Amino acid sequence: MNTGRRLGALLAGVVLTAAGCAGAESGSGGPIVVGSVNALSGAATFPEASQAAKAVFDAANASGGVNGRQIEYKALDDKGDPAAAAAAAREIVDGDEAVALVGSSSLIECEINTEYYEQQKILSVPGIGVDPACFTSPNIGPVNVGPFHDMTLSLLYGSEVLGLTDICALLEIAGNTLPSYQAAIDEWSAITGKKLKYLDSTVPYGGSDYTSYIVKARNAGCKAITVNPVEPDSIGQLKAAQAQGWTDVTWLLLTSVYSENYAKAISNAGAGVYVPAEFYPFTDAGSSQNREWRELMTRNGIPLTSFSQGGYLAAKYFLDVLRGITGEVTRESVTRALREMQPISDPMVGTPYVFGPGDTHHANTAGWPIKLASGTNRWELAAEDWLRIPARN
Amino acid sequence: MLQGALAGLAAGGLYAVLAVCLTLMSRLVRVVNFAQSATGMFGCYVAVFLSVQFGLPTWLATVAGILLGGSLSALLGWIVSTWLAEADTGTRSAVTVAVLLLLISLSFILFGNKPQPFHPILDGPAFTAGGVVISQVTVVTVVLAVLVALASRLVLTRTSAGVELRALSERPTTAELLGIPAKRLSVAVWAVTGVISTLVISIVAPSQSNDATSLAMLVVPAAAAALLGGFRRLDLAVAGGLVLGLIQGAAAQVDGLSVVRYFLPFGVIVALLLWSQRKEVWDAAR
Repeated sequence: MNTGRRLGALLAGVVLTAAGCAGAESGSGGPIVVGSVNALSGAATFPEASQAAKAVFDAANASGGVNGRQIEYKALDDKGDPAAAAAAAREIVDGDEAVALVGSSSLIECEINTEYYEQQKILSVPGIGVDPACFTSPNIGPVNVGPFHDMTLSLLYGSEVLGLTDICALLEIAGNTLPSYQAAIDEWSAITGKKLKYLDSTVPYGGSDYTSYIVKARNAGCKAITVNPVEPDSIGQLKAAQAQGWTDVTWLLLTSVYSENYAKAISNAGAGVYVPAEFYPFTDAGSSQNREWRELMTRNGIPLTSFSQGGYLAAKYFLDVLRGITGEVTRESVTRALREMQPISDPMVGTPYVFGPGDTHHANTAGWPIKLASGTNRWELAAEDWLRIPARN
Repeated sequence: MLQGALAGLAAGGLYAVLAVCLTLMSRLVRVVNFAQSATGMFGCYVAVFLSVQFGLPTWLATVAGILLGGSLSALLGWIVSTWLAEADTGTRSAVTVAVLLLLISLSFILFGNKPQPFHPILDGPAFTAGGVVISQVTVVTVVLAVLVALASRLVLTRTSAGVELRALSERPTTAELLGIPAKRLSVAVWAVTGVISTLVISIVAPSQSNDATSLAMLVVPAAAAALLGGFRRLDLAVAGGLVLGLIQGAAAQVDGLSVVRYFLPFGVIVALLLWSQRKEVWDAAR
C-alpha cells in the first residue's frame, strides 16, 4: 500500500517536472508568452491598454507571427489591490514563463513588482505608467509621459504659452506621490524661474464637495489652477468654481481628464481647461498620425482613449524590437534587445521611444496641448506642434 | 475662516436633509438606513441614463429618477416590514448595509465607473455674503432641510397618521392589535424618505463629485449629524448637519487641519458615542 502510494507520488513528480521543463522549453517552436498587469476591476479601471496591445499582437499573429512563432498575450487583473498585483506578476513571470511584460496599465503595479522584475531579470514596457516607481526603476520603461512630466508640461504651457501668472496647485496625493509632483513643479521652476503662488497638497481624492478648496484658491488670488485629478474629482472642482461664479480661472490639468465623457460633463470650463495630451490627441478624428491606431481600435471595438493609445504603442514598439532579434527569442535575448535597442519614432508621440540601459527610463517627455472651452463640450487642438520639456544643462 | 465655513454650507444642507431622513426612519420604523443616500444615487443615475439614452428633458428625467428612488426605498421597506417585522433595530439595519453595497455594485455594472454627464437643475451663485458667493444649491439644500424637519414635526404631532406612526414605533405589536395598518404606514415612511433623499441628491449631484461611491457614502456624515440628535430629535439633526458642513469648510482653509477634515464625520461619531455612553457601567453597556 505504502509502496504504491510512494510510486504514485514519484510518478506525479516526474510528470510535473516534465511539464515544467516543457514550459521552460518554449524557446523553439511554441508561442512567445507576453503578459501584462492591469487595473481591470476595482475603484479605477483602464482595460483599454491591454485590449489595444492584444489587438496589435492578434494582428501580428494573423499575418504569420514573429519569425513564424505566435504571440500568446496574457492580460491579468490587479483589482487595484497590492496582493493581487503581486500574484498576477508571479503568475505571468514564473507560471507562464513570459519573455517580457508589455502594455500594462495599473495604478500600483510598478511600485509593487519592480523588485520582483529585477530578481527575475525581466523587463516591462507599460502602456500607461502612473505611480512614481514606473519612471524610477531599472526594469520598467513606460511609453507614456506620466503624471509628473505631464504636470511640468501643463505648467510650462500655462506660464510660457498662455502667459499666466499667479498659478496655484491643488494636488490630490495618494500614497507616496507628493515628492514626485514636487519634483515636477521644481523642474518647471528651474526652467522658467517662476514660482507657484501656493501649493495645497491636502485635496482629498473622491471628496464630495470641493467648494472650500476653490474658495481658498480664489481668495489667495490664483488666476490659474493646476490639478492632478481623476475625472469625477475634476468635474466636482469645476462645478464648485462655477457655483461660486468664478468664471475667469484657467485650469491646467493632466491627461487623466482627457476623455469624451469629461468633455460632455463640462459645460462651463471657466477660462478653459488645458491639457498636454500624452499621445497625439485622439479626438482629432481626421489626423494622419492616429489613422492606423484608430482603424485597429474601431475594428476591434476598443474605446478610443489615451489608454488604448499607450497599449497600442507599447505592443508596436515591442514587436519592432522582437523582429530585430536574431536567434532564440528568450527572456534573456528580449531583455538584451530592449536594453540595446535603437530609438523608435512614431507620429503618435513627440519624442522617440527607447528602453535603453539606464537605471531609470523616461523616454516620453512631450505633450500635445489641447483645450476644452466653455460651452463647446469638445476637446480642440491648442497648438500646431508638440510641447517638449527643454533639456537643462 | 468665515468664508470657508460658508463654503461648506452646501454640503451642510445636504447632510442635514439626509440626517432628517435617517432620524425619521430610526424613530418611526426602527431602522438606521445605510442605503439612504445609495437609493438617491441610483435614482439620479437612472435619471441621467434616461436623459442621455432616450433624450428625455432634464426635469422629466429627474422626476422619473426621484419616483424610482422612492419606489426602491418603498420596496426595501416592504421587505423589511414583511420578513423582519419583529426583529430588533440592529438586524433590520443590517439588511440596508447589504442594499448599500448592492446598489453601488449595480450602478457600476449598469452605468460603468466613468463620470456621468449630469445636467444641473440649479447652478450659479444666488447672492454674495461677506465676500463669499452663496450658491443657489446651498440656499435650496439648507431651506429644504429646515422645511422637511418642520413638515415632519407637524405631521407627527398634528395628524392622526402621525399619531399612529408614533404608536407603531413605540409599541409595534400593540399598535397592530389596535388595528393600525402597520405595514402600509411603514412602507409609506420608507417611500417618503426615499423621495426626499433622491430629490436632494438630484440637486447636489451635478455640482460636486458624483461617482456612485462618493454619493452613496454621504450617509456617513449624515449619520454623524443624526447622531447629534440621538436619531430621535429632528431639530438637532438639522443643526448637526449644518454645523458639520461649516466645520468641514472652515477646516479646509487651514493647511494643518485640512487632513483632519476628511475624518471629521468619524471623529464626531466617536465623540458623540463616548459622550452618550458616559454614564453607562461596564456590564450594562456591553
